Amino acid sequence: MNFDFTPVWENIPTLLTGTGYTLLIALFAAIISLVGGLAVSLTTLYGKKIFSYPLRFFIWLFMGTPLLLQLYLLYFGLGQVGILIPALLTGILGLGIHYMAYNADIFRATILSIEKGQTEAARSLGFGRMQTLWFFIVPQAIFRALPQLGNNMIIMLKDTSVLSVIGVTELVLNAQFEIANTFRPFEFYISVAVIYYFLNLILETSLNLFEKKLEGRR
Amino acid sequence: MDVESEVGKNTSANLMLDIINVKKAFGDLEVLKGIDLQVTRGQIVSIIGSSGSGKSTLLRSINHLETIDDGEIWLDGMRVNQPDMKGLEFERHINSVRQNMGMVFQQFNLFPHLSTMDNVRLAPMKLKGMEKREATQYCMELLAKVGLEDKAETFPANLSGGQKQRVAIARALAMKPKVMLFDEATSALDPELVDEVNLVMKQLASEHMTMLIVTHEMNFASEVSDHVLFMDQGVVCEEGPPNQLFSNPKEERTRSFLKKHLQQN
Repeated sequence: MNFDFTPVWENIPTLLTGTGYTLLIALFAAIISLVGGLAVSLTTLYGKKIFSYPLRFFIWLFMGTPLLLQLYLLYFGLGQVGILIPALLTGILGLGIHYMAYNADIFRATILSIEKGQTEAARSLGFGRMQTLWFFIVPQAIFRALPQLGNNMIIMLKDTSVLSVIGVTELVLNAQFEIANTFRPFEFYISVAVIYYFLNLILETSLNLFEKKLEGRR
Repeated sequence: MDVESEVGKNTSANLMLDIINVKKAFGDLEVLKGIDLQVTRGQIVSIIGSSGSGKSTLLRSINHLETIDDGEIWLDGMRVNQPDMKGLEFERHINSVRQNMGMVFQQFNLFPHLSTMDNVRLAPMKLKGMEKREATQYCMELLAKVGLEDKAETFPANLSGGQKQRVAIARALAMKPKVMLFDEATSALDPELVDEVNLVMKQLASEHMTMLIVTHEMNFASEVSDHVLFMDQGVVCEEGPPNQLFSNPKEERTRSFLKKHLQQN
């Protein structure tokens, strides 16, 4: 068996386009999952029951079912009833909402982990309930959540590959196109694996640097 | 209740804090069994007593960190507890009342994600609308007052316990409070760091800041206070000027408490 990586090299533009899509999806899904996750956690902790109960149900639902199934439902299920969302948007929303549920759980735990004395100090100065959350509790909770959020984002970056099943032309699907042309699955999949590995290496290194920078503020 | 008529009832004379028959229970445990206490403007009052005597709960109640079950708390003619106010109305009321009280905690409770300067500066900026430049200059003076102007950009994790507590005092002073409440401010400190905090408190005393101090340190209490209360099992057991209470206590419980404490020291 001899390996030939020339077809991979010749088709590198397709792989790079796929990588671009993968990064784009990951970026927007990350924003949705982080901002949404914080909003969901604050609502479930401090919101009125009419909002917090449905949201808790939502977390339970999205954490208890597979991402693949959620994507099928969003894309093909909603399509059946006439709600047609483009695949790329479906993918970003699906991935974002799926990880929003996980991030909300992390934020909830770290918000609750902030010592009572922090709230008391802020309130004793005259800060209101919302101000106390905004200026003191949430920033500290975010700092504490960073390692776990980082892990989630690394898993999410890899999970963008699942979007290939609904036809999003991300890295894996683009590789599959070229495999169909060149019949070189091993070389392409190995190359794609290397690309994912390097993307996550960069992500992990920058997260580590960021955490280092914030050390001593927790 | 007509709040207007309530205000003004206790503005008389120099009364800064007026605590009338305050009661508080945690479940079945009665922690405060009807406490009365008056602090006049510029007066320094210390509360001593063993753990569980209710002295910390009393101090926290004054700041409404504990909700009292009965009684009245007045700060400079403003009623702190307002049993008839609910929800947002009370929230707004208590926020404005608290801006007039500085509270210093045993565990410092500095905000670890903010620099020393921001710990002190944030409240006057956000709550009093002070401009950043003005606030920075003002808070630098406060930090200088507690001897920490060179630590303005340091984060709390890199400060010693004594330094943390001095920052916490500066933070409370930044709101220009009418009264300072100290909840065992030196109890969590290593013995060699106690003096630097006591020194700052003595300086405040010399500037006629009204202070209510819960403490375990009898020497400090007798040195700075105008008036000392000995609390035991939720009541004020004995009170008086420090020289009388410490050297010639009337109550047996006071005597045995002081004896135990002076032996320890």
